[in-house]
Amino acid sequence: MADTLAPHLPVAHPTVAGRRHRLRWSQVALYVALTLIALAMLTPLYWALLSAVRPQEVVFQHVRPVSWRTFVPQELTLQYFGEVLTRTRFPRALANSLFISLTTVVAGLVVNSLAGFGFAKFAFRGKGLLFVVVLLTFMMPFEAIVIPLYMLIRQLGWVDSYLALIVPAIPHGLSIFLFRQFFAEFPNDLLDAARIDGASWWRIYWRIVAPLSTPAFISAALMLFIMQWDAFFWPLVAANSAAHTVVQVEISRFVMQESTSWGRLFAATAMAIGVPMTLFFGLQRYYVQGMTATGLRA
Amino acid sequence: MGSGRVVRKITAFVLPLVLVLGLAPAFPQARPTLKMIWVGWPEAHIVPLVQAAAADASVEVDLERIPFGRLFETLDIRLGARTSTPDVYAVDGPMTASYAVRGHLLPLDDVFTADEKRDWLQACIDQGTFDRKLYSAPVVTSSQLLYYNKTLFQRAGIPFPPADVRQRWTWEQVVEAARKIARPSEGIWGIVLEQTDRPYQILPLAQSKGAAGISPDGLRASGYIDSPAFVEAMTFYQRLFTEWQVSPKGLFEIPQVTELFGTGKLAMLVGELWNLRFLEAYKGLSWGVAPHPYFQGGKVVTPTGSWHIGINPRTERRREAIAFVKAFVSSKENAMLFDLTRRTPCRRSVYRQKAGEFSLAPWRIVLYELANTAVPRPLTPGFREYENILQQALRDIQLGADVKRTLQAAAARIDRELAKYRQ
Amino acid sequence: MSLRRREALLPYLFIGPAVGGLLVFRVYPIVLALWQSLHTQTLDGLQRFAGPANYLAIVSDPQVWNAVRVTAVFNLIINPLQIALALGLALLVNRRVPAIGVFRTAYFLPMTVSLTITAIIWNLILNPQLGLANGVLVRLGLPPQPFLISERQALASIMALATWKGVGYWMVFLLAGLQQIPAAVFEAASLDGATPWRRFRDITLPLLRRVLAFVLVADLAINILMFVPVYLLTGGGPHGSTELLMFHAYRLAFVFLDWGRATALAVLIVAVLLMLTGVQLRLLRAEFEY
Repeated sequence: MADTLAPHLPVAHPTVAGRRHRLRWSQVALYVALTLIALAMLTPLYWALLSAVRPQEVVFQHVRPVSWRTFVPQELTLQYFGEVLTRTRFPRALANSLFISLTTVVAGLVVNSLAGFGFAKFAFRGKGLLFVVVLLTFMMPFEAIVIPLYMLIRQLGWVDSYLALIVPAIPHGLSIFLFRQFFAEFPNDLLDAARIDGASWWRIYWRIVAPLSTPAFISAALMLFIMQWDAFFWPLVAANSAAHTVVQVEISRFVMQESTSWGRLFAATAMAIGVPMTLFFGLQRYYVQGMTATGLRA
Repeated sequence: MGSGRVVRKITAFVLPLVLVLGLAPAFPQARPTLKMIWVGWPEAHIVPLVQAAAADASVEVDLERIPFGRLFETLDIRLGARTSTPDVYAVDGPMTASYAVRGHLLPLDDVFTADEKRDWLQACIDQGTFDRKLYSAPVVTSSQLLYYNKTLFQRAGIPFPPADVRQRWTWEQVVEAARKIARPSEGIWGIVLEQTDRPYQILPLAQSKGAAGISPDGLRASGYIDSPAFVEAMTFYQRLFTEWQVSPKGLFEIPQVTELFGTGKLAMLVGELWNLRFLEAYKGLSWGVAPHPYFQGGKVVTPTGSWHIGINPRTERRREAIAFVKAFVSSKENAMLFDLTRRTPCRRSVYRQKAGEFSLAPWRIVLYELANTAVPRPLTPGFREYENILQQALRDIQLGADVKRTLQAAAARIDRELAKYRQ
Repeated sequence: MSLRRREALLPYLFIGPAVGGLLVFRVYPIVLALWQSLHTQTLDGLQRFAGPANYLAIVSDPQVWNAVRVTAVFNLIINPLQIALALGLALLVNRRVPAIGVFRTAYFLPMTVSLTITAIIWNLILNPQLGLANGVLVRLGLPPQPFLISERQALASIMALATWKGVGYWMVFLLAGLQQIPAAVFEAASLDGATPWRRFRDITLPLLRRVLAFVLVADLAINILMFVPVYLLTGGGPHGSTELLMFHAYRLAFVFLDWGRATALAVLIVAVLLMLTGVQLRLLRAEFEY
């Protein structure tokens, strides 16, 4: 119990070590608050995803007025999951999106973190201007550049290929900005010490800076992954063949002009959500409190 | 742990995949392949049709389906690149003029014989025609019926609207019945026009009062959508929502309307023929059909029009594209399309061929409408602009805005956007 | 190559791949879009030089000014709201208690749903007749609300939707930022006897400055460029009350098929965004200089 009250908690409630019954009260209050917020945020999603396991005919029943039946299905069915997995291209889309997203993350983490470090720790000619350019690249709405970008991809011969879906997404202005902000906090004393020891910048970066910046890498990885996982318009324009179909495009096929397959839509959505959710759950525990042992201030 | 090791692990796994999948060249095609874009119909509906037509025309077809919600934007980008693909693509009927004026459609007059053209319903040919030339070949069309809930009618003691086209109800009669049945506080409504904010659905009301949707040259809306007759019709439409409260506000998605009628909460629905399929899912529902209403003393006008197919004039496989399109819209294919999807055929020969099926109640009405009362949407190269602005106006009217001012503002905006077509 | 030369080139090697990629895949299309904004496209697809005509058309369009007003209101409310909530959540989940990972994931979950599906779900929930929201209100004895079909509530509904989706996302970055703060700092502060609020204001916030800057800039960009929920749910209505600037630009491009005007508006939006970002960054630096 005393463990969980380690002093690195930036807590809002008083932390008086040792008084056990006081501890339990605030613990309970904490969990109550956490749970209430979770309920508020997840209820819409829960209700919608229930439609993935409820017969389609019942989707809009019990809504007005609301009753316990709204949130507890009378009848459960896995039919829609089965249909989505066997009668559509969704499995292929899942595989494609996974491949595209992971590749983008790996390459993106390398490329963008290096750039972020460059902007954070070096002084060089054109740094200010180039940084503004970096900011500019994520301020320009995608829809305004989709046509020139499509023409460029055509000229490169990348239409209907994984290259079109992955390569343009790897250099990412927001990621560079994120890394730059994190690396700017990195204590220069550590870097100076390593330089005096004769280490090259490359070595310094990979052996010292990167390993100590796990939260930055995880945040950027999530950002890049979600960006690719949610991609819809660009894949539709540049690579809409059956072999390259992605998750969001496949999901959108369940919404037709005159009808919507609610069961399949939400079954596919549930599966689509499952991947980044699992990824996040696995990664968030690597948010380790930074540099507790060094005692160095940022 | 270090992020470095994680990164290395993932790289070792992913990098080979990248090399294999990303850089592997596409398989070269054996026969010349046509690239086709179609709207997001279910695969089971469109794939057999494409395969059959491809077989008939001895071509290979690479089909790409784009969800309806993003079809136009995606087509704009692909066609705007002015390359040789797509070779053939789906043309929403009223968009024919828009694509033609931009040079995205191959004129088809020489492709079809006079007999073949005569086999098409007049409304279908009209929609595929621009500047007196045929630019898109009709594939399917549409029509509408008045669906009514027998139970609600019986409970209110109101006789059913007659199915005889000569005795069809007027809008005034519809409203009268709707007001008797509707109980908004209990969630029971009287009448809904299926696509509550779309010109496709609502223009026939104005046209029934004698108004036209646009100038004859298709470039001016002022004086047409803000004419007294149009304003009168739209005022009537607004009263359904505001004064009489027989229509619920804010139903902008077709599935919501279907659900409302299917669960017995709506007395009358003026909607497309797809409801004949959809309503089967609602087992407890007792329903009937009647012809589309009209204004007392006015013209009988019903909505119509749907999907056509067009050829990219820059295609490098013109011969194959023409052969495919001819096969795709042939009488044989149209009949197959009806069997597969139950969408409304465009060809008279199909109706003759399946006379038995089409003599059943709903279809008898439909055949009459298609031959006599169906009016295609306004012909204008600026249809996207026209439809979008008018749709916004119809929404605002439904939600209570001043009818005349809204229509005048919309007309001014439409005129400004359509100015670019004056050449 | 001399050591000095190699040292001088080094920064460029670090930023080279990313910036090079950006130049090809972002800057080049942006330059083309800029070029497009100075031209009009004829129906045949030819480009005719138009000079400032597109920009003048935009600036003299009353619909654009309505959109400016709507966008301003939208951003003035949603940006502080999202950041405050995200910061609150980040502080709440920044502790090593059992099952905290479950809660963090729960708050992050709305972000894993694409914006399109979010809009579809919220459209269902906010439907005046068939929606869950009014179902709950009616059950609680409250009057049903029009939500998306009301001039007063539509924009607020979109704000709620965007906040619901985004809060968990920004929480993640702020959490990462909080984790970067050495534990020793908090230890020292609590030993000093500072109240939680003073601790937060004088210690946490300044140390979060750089990550906070990132979140503020990124959130502003995303919110100013937002349009998908409007496109899917309201079409700019009712009566133009949800007409965000980017939605108008999208409509200019893909409905009115006027690429000149669309890119001109996009350029203007970006210019304003850059300016606001510059102001934001400057203010932050001034606030926390120590």
